[in-house]
Amino acid sequence: MANQGTAEASKVDPSKAGESLLSGVGGSALHAYRVSGALLLTLISAYKSSSAPGEGAREVCRALTVRQIFYTSFQALSMISVVALFVGATLTAQSELLGGPLQRETAGRVLVTVVIRELAPLITAIIVAGRSGTAIATEIGVMRVNSEILALASLGIDPPRFIVWPRIVSTTVSVPLLTIYFSTMAVLGGFISLFFIDAHAVSEWRSGAVMGLSLVDLPLVLIKTIGLGALVGWICSYYGFEVGSSPTEVPQKASKAVVQSLMACIIYNAVITMVFYGLLVGGRLQ
Amino acid sequence: MSSADEAPPPPDFGRMSQPSRRISVAQGAPGLTLDRVDFDYAGHVILAAMDFELDKGGSAVVTGQNGCGKSTLLYVAAGLISPKRGTVLHAGNPLASLFPSARVQRGIRVGFVFQEGGLLANLDAMSNVSLALRYHYDVLELDERTMIAQAEAALEAAQVSRADWGRQPAHMSFGIRKRLALARALAIKPNFFFFDDPDVGLDPRTAQVTHQILCQLRDDPEVTLLVATNRPQLIERLEVPGYRLQAGQLTSHSGKSSLPPSGSFSRPPS
Repeated sequence: MANQGTAEASKVDPSKAGESLLSGVGGSALHAYRVSGALLLTLISAYKSSSAPGEGAREVCRALTVRQIFYTSFQALSMISVVALFVGATLTAQSELLGGPLQRETAGRVLVTVVIRELAPLITAIIVAGRSGTAIATEIGVMRVNSEILALASLGIDPPRFIVWPRIVSTTVSVPLLTIYFSTMAVLGGFISLFFIDAHAVSEWRSGAVMGLSLVDLPLVLIKTIGLGALVGWICSYYGFEVGSSPTEVPQKASKAVVQSLMACIIYNAVITMVFYGLLVGGRLQ
Repeated sequence: MSSADEAPPPPDFGRMSQPSRRISVAQGAPGLTLDRVDFDYAGHVILAAMDFELDKGGSAVVTGQNGCGKSTLLYVAAGLISPKRGTVLHAGNPLASLFPSARVQRGIRVGFVFQEGGLLANLDAMSNVSLALRYHYDVLELDERTMIAQAEAALEAAQVSRADWGRQPAHMSFGIRKRLALARALAIKPNFFFFDDPDVGLDPRTAQVTHQILCQLRDDPEVTLLVATNRPQLIERLEVPGYRLQAGQLTSHSGKSSLPPSGSFSRPPS
């Protein structure tokens, strides 16, 4: 049977195989085009509705946004603390293993630079996507299944304004705040780690860490974190709205939302780093 | 129909984009209008070039087999989902170009009771009912006290007991949820009211309450009412023109409500 199957497979017309490959590529391109258009539409309608008149609507949505920021940032602090402390400690321990006592100043500098420029924004965005992104997509998906979105529209409440915009704003505000917190906790973790390795080396390491801080990084970190936060809220809201009427679609779309937002975050992070240091700062890595 | 067909469409009906077509003129002020509305779910036709009109203050009942699209018709008529083609107008305003909040700003207040309630799961009963009032307090010119009074009045009208006002929908029985959904729809003092299967799953006493409220809405000259149901008891009680939804078209119902309402029309697709 297996031989027969192989023989039949070998008889496949190459022109037909090429055709199916072409149609597959075309189908994927069309799907990507459709998703991009729908994503853009989600953002535009959320932005447009957010600036629509209505004092009552503004007040309700403002309160909702503050609550969302609380859920996304304040409630994630414990998780961020644990992750950041251990990341900082691990990086310091590795630097100590590689450089030893001679490189402590460099170790402090490297930790601060790597954490602030790369690790803190990206890991924070990953945590927010995993924690809040799932919640956003699932909540909106369940609301779709239970006709809550239709009910809101029937009451004259704009779903993009009431549901999407507060979530995009909350992740956009939370990721920069949590990144600052992550960086602080990671440096603290490195400090504690070094204290246990060699308490006398702390001052040398600390001066290196202070040298690692550079004002050049500030616009980069801001652009990165604001963009990463917006991506998480935007993509996860979009996939929540993609849920139809079946409850089985909710976990599927939630999983897709997190995967897609993580991919988008990693790519965005890399692109911004390359553009910023490669083009704007002229490759001068301070 | 014939004499009405000869009359030109009124200019404020938003139909100027199709000047060649002639649509029967409503006798009263414009209420709900569906103008050549198409809707399908992935090729499964629900509404086919449907024309339907209810004057302001008019009422109608839509019947039809399960799965024929009664709920979808109500969603489209209420402006909750957009038709694939055609126009839906409330009081002469085309809904497609308006955000839901902009409709309220134009004086279009919709009350919609869903089959399953559609209540916001993370809000308690009082918050569910007062949400729309809070959201539109400036447009509806309400202060905090009036808002609460209006929400309480709606909850009492739908006979939701005070003990349930602080509870979330998940902790309520189906009947209470349905009454809460009714209270939420009533709170905004709607001028367009849509009710999808009002008394399904309700005990006789609760169904009676619902019927009474529907009769009050029917008699209110400001409210345009469209009810989807197959319950003979409710159809008889309402005594309003009835339509059957079949093959994407509304046809005049036989029996008690056989006559179409004044200004209403039902036309086969051209």
